[in-house]
Amino acid sequence: MTTRPLPAAREAFVLPALFLTVAGAGGLRIAPAGGALSFVPPPLITLVLAVLLLGVMARAGLLIPGGLLGDHRTGLENASGTVVLLSLFAASAQLFTCLTPDAGVLRLVFNLFFLFLLWNTLAAQPDRTRLLRSLIVVFGWAYVVRYVALAALADPQAGWTRRLLTVLLEGATAGPIEGEATAPLAGYVAFATVALYMIGLVLLPRPAPSAAVALVATRTGEVVE
Amino acid sequence: MRGLPPPRATMGAVKEVLVRVAGLLFAAAYAAFLVSVYTRQPRTVQQLASGVAASVGAYQVDPVNFQEGLRFFRNDQFPEARAALERADPARQDAPTQFYIAYSYYRQGWGRVYRDDALYHQGLEVVDRAIARAPGGRLVVPDPTLQMHTADELRAELQRGLTRELSDLNPMKVFEERK
Repeated sequence: MTTRPLPAAREAFVLPALFLTVAGAGGLRIAPAGGALSFVPPPLITLVLAVLLLGVMARAGLLIPGGLLGDHRTGLENASGTVVLLSLFAASAQLFTCLTPDAGVLRLVFNLFFLFLLWNTLAAQPDRTRLLRSLIVVFGWAYVVRYVALAALADPQAGWTRRLLTVLLEGATAGPIEGEATAPLAGYVAFATVALYMIGLVLLPRPAPSAAVALVATRTGEVVE
Repeated sequence: MRGLPPPRATMGAVKEVLVRVAGLLFAAAYAAFLVSVYTRQPRTVQQLASGVAASVGAYQVDPVNFQEGLRFFRNDQFPEARAALERADPARQDAPTQFYIAYSYYRQGWGRVYRDDALYHQGLEVVDRAIARAPGGRLVVPDPTLQMHTADELRAELQRGLTRELSDLNPMKVFEERK
């Protein structure tokens, strides 16, 4: 698939800067008491999820490897493209680290949720725009559950939010769900991390108009048949 | 002049090459910085900032706090000495400062009839850091008030203190002197 040419500065500076920032900030943890920092490297499952996510992106035309690597590009351009791909992979892995609880059953639940959702998306074969919307919803919900709901459950000062969540979850689970305490600043950092990642995805090379038309025509043909 | 590209096109191509080379260098430096942060695990924003300064060679130990730490250390005020030395080297990048912090754990943990394992463990952790920060892993501190001048001696002494062996029951050990 051919792509619209990407400005050199965007490919060489903007995209690596965005994705490396996400990769760095994704593993940042801030202790609720004292605010001590720690940096969590990506667990193995997030590497698997990142590979799956990149596969979904490539299938949907959100990530077009041919626009970043190939014989038609010079060595320097291919090096830039490789940096973008590697930083996108690191950012994807660390974004899952950012949105997943650090331990316990909830961590397993979150990872399974991501795994099945990505698998389902892979099977559905969405186009670029739909995949972007889908990822915003998936990451947005994971953010809300991890940094708003679970943080509220763990916070004894949360008041009505905690009571409301406890009532909502009553009967839905076998026992009480324990929240995960997070520092307020961690929520803001995670929000910025998700936002930067989505901005980076929007800035990736797009298919050239003729390729997009061909893709739409093929899809329409499939539907007609 | 047929066959030659117009000057503006040549300038554009050169500019693009420069942008891509600069971008590669920037990405490599940024990635190396992130890896170093994840390796060093700074606990505070101050440690993070000092680590950045250290990575560009602009990091310096605060001499006032260092001297104050030494004064406390020589007066056997070890917690005070560690507090001052930590202020002097917030990024934990300076090998001699880390050596003195480890030494303070040794001296505080040393007892004529017992060794404080918790303090010795902390000392071992810090002396390992000092060795890691020293060029080539070799650290010599020529301080005449100390009995051990190298990080290797200090490390071995801390490890001996943590090892349980039959010679610990030797009553003559109470005559051993603190180093």
